[in-house]
Amino acid sequence: MLRVGALGTTISLSQFLGAQAAQGQSDSGRSAILVFLGGGPAHQDTFDLKPNAPVEYRGQFSPARTSVPGVEICEHLPRLARRADRYAIVRGITHSLADHGLGTRYLMTGNLPTPVVNYPMYGSIVSKEMPAPDDLPAFVSIDRPVEGPGYLGAEYGPLSTGEKPRFGQPFRVRGITLDDTISIGKYQRRTRLKDDIDSAFRGYESLDDSVRGLDRFSEQAYRIISSTRSRNAFDLTRESDREMDRFGRHEFGQSALLATRLIEAGVRFVTVLLEGWDTHQDNFNTLGRSLLPNFDQSFSAMLDRLDESGRLASTAVLVTGEFGRTPKVNANAGRDHWARAMCALMAGSSVRAGQVVGATDDKAQGPAHVGYSPDDLAATFLTNIGIDPKMEYNANVGRPITVVRDGQVIPRVLDVS
Amino acid sequence: MPGSRQACLTLALITGQLLAWNALPAVAADALPPVSQRFAGEPPDEVPDFQRHVSPLLGRLGCNGRSCHGSFQGQGGLRLSLFGYDFEMDHEGLTALSSAGGERRLLSTRPAESLVLRKPLLQVDHEGGQRFAAGSWEHQLLLSWIAAGAPGAGNPQVLAELRVEPAEVLFSQGASPVQLRVTAIWQTGNREDVTPLCRFRSNDDSIAKVSADGVVHSTGVGDSHVVVFYDNGVKAVPVLRPFEHRASSEAMRFRSRAEEPPEGIDQFIEEKLAKLHLFPSELCSDEEFLRRASLDLAGTLPTPAEIRRFVSDGTGDKRRQKIDELLDRPAYAAWWANKLCDFTGCNPAQQAELGQETSVQWYMWMYQRLRDNVSYDELARRIVLASSREPGQSYNDYAQAMSSYLREVSPADFAQRETMPHYWTRRGMQKPEEASQAFAHSFLGIRLQCAQCHKHPFAPWTRQDFQNFSRFFQGMKFGVPGESRQRYRELAAEAGLSVRGDEGAPISNEVLKQARRGRTIPWRELYFDPPAETRSLDLLRSGPVSLGRSQDPREPIMAWMRAPDNPWFARAFVNRVWAAYFHRGLVEPPDDLNPANPASHPELLDWLATSFIEQGMDMKWLHRTITSSHAYQRSWVPNETNREDRRNYSRMIPRRMPAEVIYDGVKQSLAATESDEEVRTDLSRRAIGHLSMRLAGTYAMQVFGKPDRAVNCDCERVNQPSLLQAIFLQNDPLMDDRLNESGWLRSLEQQRAAGTLPSGESLIREAWLRTLSREPAPEEVIRAEKHLAEAESPVEGVRDLLWALLNTKEFVLIK
Repeated sequence: MLRVGALGTTISLSQFLGAQAAQGQSDSGRSAILVFLGGGPAHQDTFDLKPNAPVEYRGQFSPARTSVPGVEICEHLPRLARRADRYAIVRGITHSLADHGLGTRYLMTGNLPTPVVNYPMYGSIVSKEMPAPDDLPAFVSIDRPVEGPGYLGAEYGPLSTGEKPRFGQPFRVRGITLDDTISIGKYQRRTRLKDDIDSAFRGYESLDDSVRGLDRFSEQAYRIISSTRSRNAFDLTRESDREMDRFGRHEFGQSALLATRLIEAGVRFVTVLLEGWDTHQDNFNTLGRSLLPNFDQSFSAMLDRLDESGRLASTAVLVTGEFGRTPKVNANAGRDHWARAMCALMAGSSVRAGQVVGATDDKAQGPAHVGYSPDDLAATFLTNIGIDPKMEYNANVGRPITVVRDGQVIPRVLDVS
Repeated sequence: MPGSRQACLTLALITGQLLAWNALPAVAADALPPVSQRFAGEPPDEVPDFQRHVSPLLGRLGCNGRSCHGSFQGQGGLRLSLFGYDFEMDHEGLTALSSAGGERRLLSTRPAESLVLRKPLLQVDHEGGQRFAAGSWEHQLLLSWIAAGAPGAGNPQVLAELRVEPAEVLFSQGASPVQLRVTAIWQTGNREDVTPLCRFRSNDDSIAKVSADGVVHSTGVGDSHVVVFYDNGVKAVPVLRPFEHRASSEAMRFRSRAEEPPEGIDQFIEEKLAKLHLFPSELCSDEEFLRRASLDLAGTLPTPAEIRRFVSDGTGDKRRQKIDELLDRPAYAAWWANKLCDFTGCNPAQQAELGQETSVQWYMWMYQRLRDNVSYDELARRIVLASSREPGQSYNDYAQAMSSYLREVSPADFAQRETMPHYWTRRGMQKPEEASQAFAHSFLGIRLQCAQCHKHPFAPWTRQDFQNFSRFFQGMKFGVPGESRQRYRELAAEAGLSVRGDEGAPISNEVLKQARRGRTIPWRELYFDPPAETRSLDLLRSGPVSLGRSQDPREPIMAWMRAPDNPWFARAFVNRVWAAYFHRGLVEPPDDLNPANPASHPELLDWLATSFIEQGMDMKWLHRTITSSHAYQRSWVPNETNREDRRNYSRMIPRRMPAEVIYDGVKQSLAATESDEEVRTDLSRRAIGHLSMRLAGTYAMQVFGKPDRAVNCDCERVNQPSLLQAIFLQNDPLMDDRLNESGWLRSLEQQRAAGTLPSGESLIREAWLRTLSREPAPEEVIRAEKHLAEAESPVEGVRDLLWALLNTKEFVLIK
């Protein structure tokens, strides 16, 4: 068994991942970050502006040029405008579930929700197919989980940190950070005592699955909790002031920084939440004063840092909400739920950055030509992680289930060799 | 009696050689010989029948599989119905023009040139490769059919029985393969040897493999089934090979004579054990029994005092008495209310109205029925035939009553209601097709979903069966019926609820607050909107049911389920209850009763279901009967014969405690001695009790696999261990809090201050009893004492010890 932590620096992470890829059948060696913009961001006020639409449609924001000729995004995203060559914008995504719960399930699984099958979130598929190093969880959700493991079972659910990191405050990761009253030495002593007295099945450890599984997971939990690498990965105080400033000292900045650190350490899938996009009222102040500047700063920093460390090439990034918002601004300067049009960003791994794929009509009401479904978006994202979206699982529902049954990879988004 | 049952079985103890195909004697004198003989040489003067020959042959050749022409997109332009049985569609597909080049797939004038033959012969490119050789009987059969003009199926013929010989295959070591022979018996009385037209499948390749021709090879010891498929018939043939070990059969006979003859459940279990040369493990110890039975029956750890009392009790039938006592506890009703909520799908996120409130009402209603031990069929009736309004209740009284359950000051009790309509007002019940699937899962333990789109691959269900059954659920509506609309509107106006359209609107938080303050708010209701005319519907192949105009279509379903000869209703329930006491159901998965997934002990399942019906579906009788059996009370420790057995209950297989039970168990282990009873009996603070639905969806419940109950599958409740569970038990803040706030440790702290702290050894014994429900072994005491001596303080040492005990495998397992 490989133990990177125990061997210190004798083998590099990429060697480790390479070795694992040789073992695992479908491990591409890639990782992924999913930034979920909960609430449903207004597509026409972020990455799909309609400056020529009547004022009640186009809203209060103006488009700004970007580093890619012909591509324009919202004026409140200046840093991302300068980095438009780092990501691709997918416009004209369309579906019909304008409900937060159902829309989220759809976007986070790539399958239309049904009472018959509980589909797994992308991170759970990654966690099943692409194991992490021994002393790290494969799938981490910063704050709460966005969606669950579905038919893959609890084993492939995310380790959720239970809260967002806040600048200047100690950050406790549920299950990883030791309680203040418990030193690592005490935890290790307790574990030794446990190993000492857990004797009921001695001599029969391999007999039953449940016993075997408990041994395996208890050992892995110990490795994760006691590992310096894992504790360091979650420890934002190890970051310099410069990095803190670059990502931003707000919650989303800290979450984005943590996500980046976790990927650097070897976690395979991280979800980051930025909520507050459900702007039924006061849409423009909410977006212009906090959501967009924060997102602009932290997401830019994330892309920069992944690029600097060379990890952008192996990290698939997806930014999406659960739907878009109504074309017409309502009486409260807000926009309501609208699933017929939305947009997403993709970056990293095989994404052909610096382009816009797809389009909406002149009032951003729906796709201009052929729209893309959440299923298509899912197929594209999974492919970019190195997972075949047409792969099948023998889920416990009596028939094989295709990971993303109806989706096709969106043309032109990925460089497919 | 075992003897008479055995006589029914055609037991084939095979030691002879495999007989050549053609040398097999005819199955019955009047049965038509197999097509492989009839079409072997010169084509006979026979026109092959589409249903009986052509369609099964295509199935046998794999043409209608899901990766070939059975795919919903078809393959190469030709689409066949998945797993067959849509004769019209398949016939049309075969006789249509080919998509490529407009060539006819069938040419009756030049049959040999038909694409349908040239493709599988690989005379032209065929992605599926060559399926048969030129001149083979398969070739001749299809050729004859095409030459005769490729006639279609007409009205489907009804297969009365699929008879397989031998009816059971019992291999001995080194035994030769066995050829199965299959006879189709049609309702017309016609019989035919259809062996070469069947599909065969082994349910466990590590025990037996079966060739495409139906030859069974033994691959290992143990037992499983080979399943035979033909037309819509499915037949499972048990295949057994005894375990091999040094213990002689002589010793087994001696042993069985020495013991009292088994009765009830055990006679069936032991009969099969003997057949497989398995010795059961010894019975478990009293300590193990008490922990196991308390957790399984009442979801509760025994108290240290209770353990000491039980172990020292010299009464002969103390286990039976304990079972009765556990069944009388409210905790039994609480725990089993969770299980019944699993089966029926109680889920706050799925309710059409006020999810949190209605799911708590649902749970509490279940709890009360279980506490009163209402019979299972009666409980089911009160759900199946539930209506929002009680008989004779006006809409206004209904709205008043529903509101009264929610008011803050002296609320009325929903659980007193005769019926429980929330089952029908889930989001997943709104369309008849969804309702029929959910209903079949909840009450019949069968999975109809496959048949929504294609013939069920393992069960006899066709799309027609599914559509017929779904029609029973048409007309069940959730909204506002015409006669209630005026009053509903008035209430809505008073409450300030904006309503568009006639079907009403969900109750908003604002409106809910008014109900809390005691006002009557507008409620939508479950009602039946009768169809225009009398209907005659087929009820899952049990014959047609005529429905009068105003008759609630659920009534005939309930009557049918209650009939003693109903094949599913009682069986599904006894099998699920069985599955809760063991690591598997007699049928596994427990909610997938179908002929291709037979019970490991079919006679036992029959006996249990029949006896349950005879006992008036008394649920406590069922629990008592299962937990009183030797099969349930065995030790998990294997003997030299049964290490590999996981199907025959020769020992107890350890299972992980369910989510709610672990959650409560941690609390119980750490409670102050004087609240030992209260922490168990105060259901309002227990995860198996009133908190059940309030805790649903929380992190702890998700990590330990409490089901969402969002889909129709018992598999949603997960009892597998996982990494996150280990992390949770070792280091979750909730665990830290529990350990830091332990009432027992706090009292030890006080005793230490007062100088009355008991000895290390007695604390160690107490810690073991609290968590593992047993006395520690001497070497365990020594190890623990060593740790206490090194700890910063004695109480801290006990805290560490409790942490360690709660993290042992033994704590989370029911063994």
